[in-house]
Amino acid sequence: MSMFLGPLDAAGRVPPGQQTRVAAFLLSCHGAMARQLALAQSWQMNPAWHAELNAQLFHEAEIVALLPRATSWTIDPELLFLLPGWETSWLPRPGDGFADRTQAMTIDVVAFGHALHSVVRPAALLPQDAAAQDPFALALRRIEFESGRVMQPQIMFLKSADLLPFRSAVNAAVEGRHFQVRKLWREMLAGIGVDRCTSQ
Amino acid sequence: MPFLALGSYRIRYELEGPERGPAYVLVNGLTQYAELWTAYRDALVAKGFRVATFDLLGQGASDKPALFISQDDQVAALALLIDQLEPPIFLGGISFGGLIALRYAIEHPGRLAGLVAMSAFAELSPQLLLLGNALRTGLILGGTSYLQDLLLPMNLSDAWLGPQLGNLEAVKRQGWLTNDLYALQNLMESFLDFKPLTPQLSSIGVPTMILNGEFDFLTPRALHETLRIRIPDSALVIIPRAYHAFTLEKPALTADLLFRFAEDVRARTWKGNRSVWIAPDNAGGPLVPFPSGHDHLRAIPAHEVPG
Repeated sequence: MSMFLGPLDAAGRVPPGQQTRVAAFLLSCHGAMARQLALAQSWQMNPAWHAELNAQLFHEAEIVALLPRATSWTIDPELLFLLPGWETSWLPRPGDGFADRTQAMTIDVVAFGHALHSVVRPAALLPQDAAAQDPFALALRRIEFESGRVMQPQIMFLKSADLLPFRSAVNAAVEGRHFQVRKLWREMLAGIGVDRCTSQ
Repeated sequence: MPFLALGSYRIRYELEGPERGPAYVLVNGLTQYAELWTAYRDALVAKGFRVATFDLLGQGASDKPALFISQDDQVAALALLIDQLEPPIFLGGISFGGLIALRYAIEHPGRLAGLVAMSAFAELSPQLLLLGNALRTGLILGGTSYLQDLLLPMNLSDAWLGPQLGNLEAVKRQGWLTNDLYALQNLMESFLDFKPLTPQLSSIGVPTMILNGEFDFLTPRALHETLRIRIPDSALVIIPRAYHAFTLEKPALTADLLFRFAEDVRARTWKGNRSVWIAPDNAGGPLVPFPSGHDHLRAIPAHEVPG
């Protein structure tokens, strides 16, 4: 087990098997996030939050559009078993303790987004000597960097004064999504020989 | 890697040195992690101390709460660690860690033998508040790497940075890998969510050494002066040509000052007297009293204004 992807090839590229597994995971979770954001906009009446959800939707769309071309794909039969489990995990799961179901659904979407953008750090998987201009490495760095920006409105929303009466429920929803995303991310990485348990 | 249980969260810690030796507990700054005390641990263990280091909640290998971290949580984590140790116990903290150490000393009178507050503060001055907000904005807009870009030149000297210029990405990488952006943001918000400690400082009854870099820009002399004036058995020691992060830049000198402070306290020769001293340039050299008649709050040799 290593903390990083690799061993790299002579040109400093991540092995295609690892690229495929990581890209499949990212496409699965960010694709699910994009679908949920598209739906959430239909019930979001607050104009400011509608704008934020819309911005985040386009960020997710960027990731989903970027990775297929940036990845050196290879056949990975295990994905037949892994993908259904991942997709099921991302399904909406509104929590208890909120004013109504619409609020609970919105919190869950934002909590899921916060977990994706904070727990999943794809650039931190790259060894120091990864080729700087490799498309896959560039994509991972871009996804992680932009995730930091997207996270900010999520944090502002989750800590906003409107939600203070529901602080415990909000915290439980976010911690629950963090736990779920972290577990699946680590399991996926362990399957390709990467151990992130001590670093995140 | 041992952990302490703080409710449902895990706090990663390390203990080294003889079990019956006097203890030194070292508390990280906001963007740090426990390994940055390695030189201190080695130096103090070699002198017979038992040294405890840990990652604060939200740092390094400790758990990172998703949304909310309070200063109370950090003090509680520190208390758990100190409960593992036998007296005499010396506690040192740098910057945000200095604040947590001060809070611990206030909330647990009688538990410590001595306190070392390094680049510390008891209240947010307007400058520190605005700098903290600006650093948080930098973190949000540019990520951890940009925050490091801001902190490095602010907190370290040209003498340290010069030889590192070609190697800065490697210097930054471990901190970037270890600390997650969302956790750093939570930590920064816990720093900015501040209730001044100044009125409570006088309750700190233990010998206290206050260390301040001569050129500390982030927490300048005036913030340390508040500690010196309010803590009865304190002394302020100015580290020559040092900035905010002098614990990184001058580990041999600072570890030696920590050792000498603990030895003075144990030998009952420590006399705080709210005095002001100048540290030597190198470990082992003599501390000299700040020249009388001059104002230690000024950068130019201005005469003190009485009162």
